[in-house]
Amino acid sequence: MSGFTETMQYTGSLMPVLLKGTLVAVELFAITLVLSLPLGLPIALGENSRLKVVKWICRAYVFFFRGTPLLLQLFFFYFFFPIYLNVHPTAFATAALTFVLNYAAYFAEIYRGGINGIDRGQYEAAQDLGLSRTQTMFGIIIPQTMRMVLPPISNEAIVLIKDTALVSCIAVADLMKVTRGIANRDVNMTAYLIAAAIYLIFTYVLTVYLRKLEVHFSKYDEQGEW
Amino acid sequence: MEENICKGTPILEMSSIIKDYSNCRALDNVDFSMHEGETVAIIGPSGSGKSTLLRCINCLTRITSGKITIGGKTFVDGRPGEESKKRHEAKYIPEKELLDIEGDTGMVFQHFNLFPHMTCLGNICYAPIKVKHIDKASAEKRGMDLLKLVGMEDKRDEYPGRLSGGQKQRVAIARGLAINPKIMLFDEPTSALDPEITGEVLSVMKKLAENRITMIVVTHEMGFAKEVADRVLFMDNGSIVEEGTPDEIFNDPKSDRLKSFLSSMLRA
Repeated sequence: MSGFTETMQYTGSLMPVLLKGTLVAVELFAITLVLSLPLGLPIALGENSRLKVVKWICRAYVFFFRGTPLLLQLFFFYFFFPIYLNVHPTAFATAALTFVLNYAAYFAEIYRGGINGIDRGQYEAAQDLGLSRTQTMFGIIIPQTMRMVLPPISNEAIVLIKDTALVSCIAVADLMKVTRGIANRDVNMTAYLIAAAIYLIFTYVLTVYLRKLEVHFSKYDEQGEW
Repeated sequence: MEENICKGTPILEMSSIIKDYSNCRALDNVDFSMHEGETVAIIGPSGSGKSTLLRCINCLTRITSGKITIGGKTFVDGRPGEESKKRHEAKYIPEKELLDIEGDTGMVFQHFNLFPHMTCLGNICYAPIKVKHIDKASAEKRGMDLLKLVGMEDKRDEYPGRLSGGQKQRVAIARGLAINPKIMLFDEPTSALDPEITGEVLSVMKKLAENRITMIVVTHEMGFAKEVADRVLFMDNGSIVEEGTPDEIFNDPKSDRLKSFLSSMLRA
């Protein structure tokens, strides 16, 4: 019984630090999602652009950010700004920037897939009614892709929760970093278990919320037939 | 000649239309014109160029050479050999002006192509509000009138996904009419429907013809062509083979191709 009490006391003593780390992870998660979700759209549209220059820039962007490890990008920007530009952003700012750029590339590909998946008849109907390309894209095509892209976006969002742990490799005191610090200091695995539980709760809450969102966006196709 | 003077200038004129794809010729020197208030039915075997001809009128398909004029506005006038080689396309007027002309035609597609994320009324009002800049209230009022016309007023707030094929097609007809087109184009409007519900769509179309809405209907419904059309075109291999009143086409076919087409349709 005393062993249990001791464990509980030890756990309790760790919680403030772990929760602080959790907050950092949540902040990074939120900033990344809020900024990269909209940023992906112009990149996706650029990839389909009729202007060759725009198209190739966007494709190169996606190729680079999807084709190299996020961890490498993180280190790259972490050293690039102070060494080559003599700018000294905080480690958290660098991490957020890298994550936004990286995730925007993934979201762009998801959007592009969604846009290309819309039936040609929708474009034809819009064209026949005299809608411009912009009106067609923003009024007809993109609203329809919302429902289609939500599952892959959910998937990426869950991956993102776990990717936040990568910032522990640079000087950001996220949940992973503080956990490792505690485990090394106390030579005790408990912190890892608590951190795992926190990540799981995080993922669970997000899953529930995203499922609600999917239901919301599928309100207009009860029969599933368009 | 005299007949033309009586009816005034045609609402649609197409002359020497050629449409080439990389490996075949879909339209081979087609001439066609029609007047306001006319209902024209186009029949013919599949692959004969009926749908292509229809899609050239609203620029969904771009012609290789020829001239098309709608309501006095010519939007393409290309001689053979002038087209850009890469895409087999004649030169069209700039895209911005083309958009105006596209608003002159309302098309009803075989597969409806309703916007699934909008209600029936939303489908109908979207283009009038966005393209013709009509205020929302009057667009909705007109939208409701059109829904009544096609007998769908009780489904105004329903999404297309919850409608039957016949209902979808009737909403699509209302959507096409909503932009006040000069010509309504029907591209096999009943081909994707169950036989027992084609009637509800055809009767709406008949009502439009009676109201002297200018319409071109590509169809396999011989009964509809016979009963409703003022004029019937028979197309085969990218050309108009025969043209005439329903009586001439169905009761007195001249060409062997039309004869064999009609007899095969009867057998089916």
